[in-house]
Amino acid sequence: MSSLIHHFPILLIAIPILTAALTMMLRSKPKLQAGLSVLASFSLVIISSLLLMEVWRSGIQVYEVGEWGKYGIMLVADLLSAGMVILSAGVSFLSLIYSLDYIEKRSLSTYHPLFNLLIAGLHGSFLTGDIFNLFVFFEVLLLSSCALVVAIEKGGVTKTSDKLEATFKYLILNMLGSFIMLIAVAALYATTGTLNMADISVKLGAMQAAGDLPWHVFVIGLLFIVVFGNKAAIFPLHYWLPDVHPTAPSPISAMLSGVLIKVGVYGMLRVFFFIFTDVLGMFQPIIILLALLTIGIGAASAVAQTDVKRLLAYSSVSQIGYVFLGIGFGSLGAIAASLVYLVNHAIAKSLLFLTSGGIIHHAGTRDMNKMGGMVNSSPFMAAAFLIGGMSIAGLPPMGGFISKFSLFDAGIIGQHYTEIAIALLFAVFSLFYMFRAWLLMFWGEKRDVKAYGEYSEHGTSPLIYVPIAILALAVLILGVYAEPLLSLAQATAVQILDPQPYIDAVLTRVVR
Amino acid sequence: MNNTLLSLTIAILFGIGTFLILRRDIVKVIIGLSIMSHAVNLLIVSVGAFSGKDVPILTHHEVEPTNTIFIDSMNNGIFAPVLNGTAPTQFVDPLVQALVLTAVVISLATTAVIIILAYRLHEEYGTTDIQKLKRLWG
Repeated sequence: MSSLIHHFPILLIAIPILTAALTMMLRSKPKLQAGLSVLASFSLVIISSLLLMEVWRSGIQVYEVGEWGKYGIMLVADLLSAGMVILSAGVSFLSLIYSLDYIEKRSLSTYHPLFNLLIAGLHGSFLTGDIFNLFVFFEVLLLSSCALVVAIEKGGVTKTSDKLEATFKYLILNMLGSFIMLIAVAALYATTGTLNMADISVKLGAMQAAGDLPWHVFVIGLLFIVVFGNKAAIFPLHYWLPDVHPTAPSPISAMLSGVLIKVGVYGMLRVFFFIFTDVLGMFQPIIILLALLTIGIGAASAVAQTDVKRLLAYSSVSQIGYVFLGIGFGSLGAIAASLVYLVNHAIAKSLLFLTSGGIIHHAGTRDMNKMGGMVNSSPFMAAAFLIGGMSIAGLPPMGGFISKFSLFDAGIIGQHYTEIAIALLFAVFSLFYMFRAWLLMFWGEKRDVKAYGEYSEHGTSPLIYVPIAILALAVLILGVYAEPLLSLAQATAVQILDPQPYIDAVLTRVVR
Repeated sequence: MNNTLLSLTIAILFGIGTFLILRRDIVKVIIGLSIMSHAVNLLIVSVGAFSGKDVPILTHHEVEPTNTIFIDSMNNGIFAPVLNGTAPTQFVDPLVQALVLTAVVISLATTAVIIILAYRLHEEYGTTDIQKLKRLWG
């Protein structure tokens, strides 16, 4: 068993890639294909939880692919990586179950391989310890998510031309982002002569200590802000997100908003607190400013939306700003708070997007002005949307309250009063837009009964409501029983701020 | 090797790529992206030390693997993992070539996807003018 645990990091990437290949070959047998895909996804949930327990118990796990030590590719699972992997495995498992009923049958045969490749890309980018390998996995998840955005959902509420236009925007911007990332990686390689993140960190530290840190390291840092900011959709680069996330089918929106934009946050944490340990201080004001602008623009745009999924997408923009605010503060408590925020937002936003999919199928439209009175016809969706909306707005029994509370607490301890005041103002905005959406959709007169379309039975289909119920339960549990998550985030933040154990785990090993 | 010429080539390719990405025609945007990816690939190659006559593989079998074959050591001030060899086994950094190979394959895949997208967009909208693609505002 212990030798098997040693192989968990590679299994988390190999299983989805293998499943992608197998499901590609099983396209003519939809039942078998779906069963295999769900089984693989469930095994990933189990493996990732075992990996997190192992990392928690016995420290950082390092897996050498090809046994080349730091010269080859390494997979490193520290608490941050393992935590992100379990989050993505859980959300993708629930999204996959949901999409079995939600996605059109003819689209489903290619949907499974692409979905598995997306999971492989996510897990790879969370687990890799090599910065060029990070780029490769970014491309894997970019291409598979592009193809998934254009997958056809039942009911056809979103036109194909809209999906194509959004995907075109997404792909062009992310290609430019990956070129910039390549430039940054090449410059980093030219400076330090290595691609291993721990090794880069050590060598930059040595240069810093010797006092001959080249000036272009700061330029590389700025390039990385652009790259990860583009992935996470922070302010000047946020405008693709409100087009792409609403046009995608709802389970894919849940994946995109729940996990994919968190890849940018992960990269930011990894690169800035780990590689550029000492040059970070210069960038903190930039990150705080961008985060505040992101919060403001996202919240202000979300208030005016009439399309339910577009509102949720703008809310994602706003919420990711809060996560970056914690990163910008840079203290131990703030990073722990932004990790808690990240987890709570991932779960609540996945819940909201999955629920909005059910609502859209029920009402046959995405326009909230045409909905109304649905609290009677689909009370389950109303309750689930209320739970998610309360979590995003930060109301007490939900997880969102804990995350907002700990973030503001850390900001006040760090004496960032102005920033916290601005963030608090836009938190009130988020309260307003979530409840406005809920009231428009579920309260009031029941309008146009006949418009409750052909898929209104989706509100009670078990494949649709079980994932929603699990996510809603998770939001509640994280709000009421938040202590384990808080202590995990605290331990993770300690590990992020002190990269020495990671460096030791990676570098002190025998190269043949 | 004439490094000025190389830098100038990279810069001009970047310029052409940026210019084409700012055009209104989808096809020109895609061509601009591929030119820019070539510029990035050239940049990566130029990052590794190369002399113009050495190759990135070992042509002799004179290197006997000892217990460790890499000589990078923080204590000696050597950062890059240079192979422990003598004059006849000199070679240029092979890692950047491998990186470029990976980057080329990836840009092939992304370009293929984006060309298909452009074709489908032309089918749906009947135009390749990027300013006419504005059914979504955000």
